[in-house]
Order: sequence, then C-alpha cells, then structure tokens
Amino acid sequence: MLKISGLQAKILSGREVLKGIDLNVKAGEVHAIMGPNGSGKSTLAGILAGKPGYEVTGGSVTYQGKDLLSLSADERAREGVFLAFQYPVEIPGVNNMYFLRAALNAVRRHRGEAELDAGQFLKAVRAKLKELEIGDDLLQRGVNVGFSGGEKKRNEIFQMAMLEPKLALLDETDSGLDIDALKLVSNGINKLRSPDRAMVLITHYQRLLDYVEPDHIHVLSQGKIVMSGDKSLAAELEKTGYAAFGDAA
Amino acid sequence: MSPKPETAPYRTAFDRHHPAGHDERREAALSRFETLGFPTRRDEAWRFTDLKKLHRAVFAPAEGAIHAVPDLVPWRFAGDAHRIVLVNGRFARELSQVGDLPKGVIFGSLAANPALIEQTFDPTDTEGGQAFTALNAALFADGFALVVPAGVHLDVPVEIVHWGAASGRSFHLRHLIALGAGATATVIETYAGQGDYWTNAVTTVRLDAGAKLRHAKLQDESSLAIHFAQVRADLASDARYESFVLTLGGNLSRHDSAVLYGGADATCGLFGAYLLRGEQEATNATFVDHAVPSCTTTEVFKGVVDERAHGVFLGSIMVRQDAQKTNANQLNKNLLLSPRAAVDTKPQLEILADDVKCSHGATVGDLDEEALFYLEARGIPAPEARRMLIEAFAADAIDQIEDDVDLRAHFVTQVQRWLGGGAK
Repeated sequence: MLKISGLQAKILSGREVLKGIDLNVKAGEVHAIMGPNGSGKSTLAGILAGKPGYEVTGGSVTYQGKDLLSLSADERAREGVFLAFQYPVEIPGVNNMYFLRAALNAVRRHRGEAELDAGQFLKAVRAKLKELEIGDDLLQRGVNVGFSGGEKKRNEIFQMAMLEPKLALLDETDSGLDIDALKLVSNGINKLRSPDRAMVLITHYQRLLDYVEPDHIHVLSQGKIVMSGDKSLAAELEKTGYAAFGDAA
Repeated sequence: MSPKPETAPYRTAFDRHHPAGHDERREAALSRFETLGFPTRRDEAWRFTDLKKLHRAVFAPAEGAIHAVPDLVPWRFAGDAHRIVLVNGRFARELSQVGDLPKGVIFGSLAANPALIEQTFDPTDTEGGQAFTALNAALFADGFALVVPAGVHLDVPVEIVHWGAASGRSFHLRHLIALGAGATATVIETYAGQGDYWTNAVTTVRLDAGAKLRHAKLQDESSLAIHFAQVRADLASDARYESFVLTLGGNLSRHDSAVLYGGADATCGLFGAYLLRGEQEATNATFVDHAVPSCTTTEVFKGVVDERAHGVFLGSIMVRQDAQKTNANQLNKNLLLSPRAAVDTKPQLEILADDVKCSHGATVGDLDEEALFYLEARGIPAPEARRMLIEAFAADAIDQIEDDVDLRAHFVTQVQRWLGGGAK
C-alpha cells in the first residue's frame, strides 16, 4: 500500500531531518515507528500527509501505485490518507459537525458516492459514536476549541472512524493522555483495524503498544531507520532506552 | 498636495434645486459646508481615506424620478418585517409593505411626516465639523422615520431597503429613530444599488430611559458607489443602543457612529464586519462619549481584506471626569488575504476618570496556516477551507448579536454570498 524508498527531506531553509528512509507497509498491517525526540518521526508523518514547511530532497513515496508526493494535502486525504495530529488545531467559529460533514462529503464526492444530507450524516455519526463507545458531547462545539488533551485525541480517532481512511498515520496519539483516555483511544484504534486498512503509529513511548499490538516496529534515530523487528522490540527498548542508538534521550 | 476640491458646484446644484421647507436652515447648513470644505488627508478623521473617488464628478442631488427596481429578495431579511423601500433616496410606496403597527407607532417616509423633520435637527448640522453632515442638512429630501411610544415593544422588526440606481447623482437621506421610555425595536437597513452614485445618510437616534434599540445595517452598495453614513445616538439612563454593520459593497464607504450617554447605566454595543476586495476602501469610525457614570460600551469589528482593498477602523472612546464606573472594551481584528491589501486601525481611549475598566486592542494577520492545513488534511479542498475560515472569522462579530438567531442568519447568508461571489 505504501512504499517509501530512500526518502530524504529537510525543513524549509533548515537542517536535513530525514536521511534516507525505507519502509514498506501492506494493507492490514500496523507498524509502529519509535524513536527519541528529534529523530524525525513527526517530520515523516507531516511529509506523508502533505504538511507545508518541508522540502523533499531525495527518494520517493508510492501510495497505492501513485506518486504520493505529487498530490496536495487535500487530494491525499481524499485518496484515503489520514493523519491524526499530535497537536490537533483549534479552529474557533467552525462547528465540529459542520467541519466533519464538509470533510466526509469531500471524500465521498471523490469516491463517486452521493453526499450525505444533514439527517443522513447525523445518523452515520450516531452509529460511529456507538461503535467506538464515545459520547456526543464534543459534536456541537468549535473544532477542538477548549477541548482537553484527551478530548482532542478522541476527536481525532472519531474523525478517522468517520472518514474510513486506507492509510492512517497516528502521530504521538498517546502523548498527554491519562490511563483512561489512553484506553479509550486505543480501543478506538483497535476497532478500526481491518484487513484493507494500514496503520502507522508514531510514538516515543512503549506505553501505547501495551494496548495496540503492532505487526512491525521500527526504530528511527537521526533521520534513519536503525532497527526493525516484531513487537518484542518494544519491550527491549523499554529496558535499554534509545541511548544504544546514539541518542542521549 | 493637490488643492482642495471646490464646493461651488454643490452651491450651484443647491441654488438650482433643493427640497422645499426649512430654507433658512438649509442655507445655514450649506454655508457651513462651504466653510468646512471637503475633508482631506490633513484632517485627522480622514487621514487614511482617499477621497479622489468622490472628486471625479459633481454628484448633483437626485430629483426623484424612480427607476426600474430589480427583485430585492437577495438583500432582504428573510423573516417577518414591516418593510419600506426607498429608491434614489425617496420613499417608494408601491414597493413598501408596512402592515399593522402597534398603536402610536409611526414608521414610514420622513418627508411624509413633516412634523418629525425637526426632531432630526442637531446643532452639528450647521455648527459641527463634519462637512458631509452639513451637506446632508442642506440637501436632504427624504429618509425613514420610526417613532415608538413609551412602553411599546415592537416585536416584528422594521426593514428599510435603499436602492440606488441614478448614476452621477447623490442621495442625501435623513433618518429618525426615536424610542420612548422602555420601548424596544429592531431596525434592519439595507443599502444596495447599481451604477456610480453617492449615498450620504445621516441618522438621528434618540433613546429615552430604558429604551432598547437593535440597529442592523447591510451596506452592499454597487461596486462603483460611494456611501457615507453617520449615526448619532443619544442615550438616556438604562437605555441600550446596539448596532451591527456589515460592509460588503461600495467603492468608497464610511460608517460613523457617535454615541452620547446622557444618563447612568446605559449600554451600547457597536459591532461590525467588513469584507473588501478589488479596490474597495471602507472605514468604520466610532466615537463614544462617556460623560456620566456607570455606562458600558463594547465594540467588536472584524475585517477581511483581499486583493488591493483597504480597510480602516477608527475607534475613539472618551471617558470624562464624572464618568466613574465606566466599562469600555474595544476590539478590532483584521485578516489580510493578499500582499497588496491594507488595513489601518486606530483604537483609542481617552480616560479622565480614575475608577473605570477599559481595554482596547487591534490585530492584523493572515489566515491561520495550521488551521488551513488541518482542514485540508481532512480532504476539504483548499478554496473551501479558506472560505470556512473566513466565514468563521466574520461570524465572531455576527455572534455579538446575541439573542436573535434570524438576524444572525441574515448576515451569515450575506457573508456566504460575498464568499461565493468573487470579484464583482
């Protein structure tokens, strides 16, 4: 589904952050990318989602046979790429439901499906909330406005569930969550695992992986994947830390 | 600097033809206009405004022939209203539908209620420092009048639609809104038109003790037109004046609000949004005079300025020595959508009392790139994402109209029409 080859990138007018990344993700797989702060994890997620501010200096990314890097951010999203933000943005004045319906209908138009009217949309929302076992308290508020850290992450998972992406990139979705919020969010992620959906979890800590079991784990350090393995790698990292990979963190 | 434009052509137009009645006063007002002359950038109140657009031609007063009027539904308030239409500055009976009014309420043409004309008079007409107010006092022909007796609640809004379609002409409108003690009313005004004309309106607002007025205005004049409007509001104790002005149209426009507190515990809310593109230039100016204690002023103006347009906010709040326990807050926020768009903002507080709560602030910025990316990352195409953010930015001012969902919807619809419109 996703094939990253020799990807190199730098921050616009800044330093080189990715120094040759290779990664293959197949449908149905869950990959975890772990690494210390500053290793390039969030940059990788940003580049895959089309976030401005980076320049790709080498390599390629193929997504479902397409050159992902040639698509704009909104095109990537309509093609099924979803980024769960590390820091979801507060957008005062834009109602959460209005926003999500605009997003869902943009995706549906792209897929050649009929747009949902307000009634149909509400029905779909209710069904998803029930499936994910989360409340409806956030729906009528401004997008992420005044949400707690946990509410913001829950809103990201809810959006992911509504938009039904093919490739989900979860950037530090576990950061800043207490144990209850972590369970809620993990439960959501697990429910969204499916044979035709791939997920990439980006995380600093092993904690999330106690709840969401990945198929593969990669360690990113100083812009390169320095080690790959199965889920047992997480437990090993927990013991040794990232220091073994040339980082003090 | 170019010489001051001549006032003489307006004297010629005045001598040739001016509406009957109050001749001496009209003459005094015209003399005042001649003494003041047209403002220039040397006048503090006009230093950000380019009046060249006004000096391209002499805009002789329109003389009343009513032109064909298109369907006004796109501009009209969708809810129930007592509605009148003025065309080229004069009441158009056949387009108006007032319906049944509560006992004692007067709503209609000012010219048709000559006994009310004197109530619009103010010393500033003939002695003040505003040239266009003086010119209005010399040349006004008609306008609307709303009088609500003490204790009467006008539950259905009154709506006044002004249509301008006489190119090369000026319309000097004079309006009166007078609410007796404890009376309430909502006034919805709309200015729209086609062609190259000049609207020059002066509104007198008098609110007796405890009266409450909501005064909403949509300025969507022709993209060639000039629009100047001045509102002067006198508030007795416990009165509330609330105004919301949405500026979308006009080539050159200015809305001045002057609020004078005459009694304690009165409040005013001056709110507005301006959305400008092309080469539009628009000014919102407010002057609030706290001369008595315990009054509260809130101002929120939001500007969206695109292409080569220019938005100006001039806010002035005066808190005099006796005005203890004054609350005054002033906020102007602007969004610049193009490198050639410009904003001048000047919020100003002058405080002579010592026991007051006052604040003011102004910002000028770009669309929030992070918010834009967030919307795009969910599949929303970039142009739609931009529209959503602009609408949300303007809605912040519209939401100041707290308890009237229909009126908020009216302005949201107009903002959406602007967003869908592109350059006119």
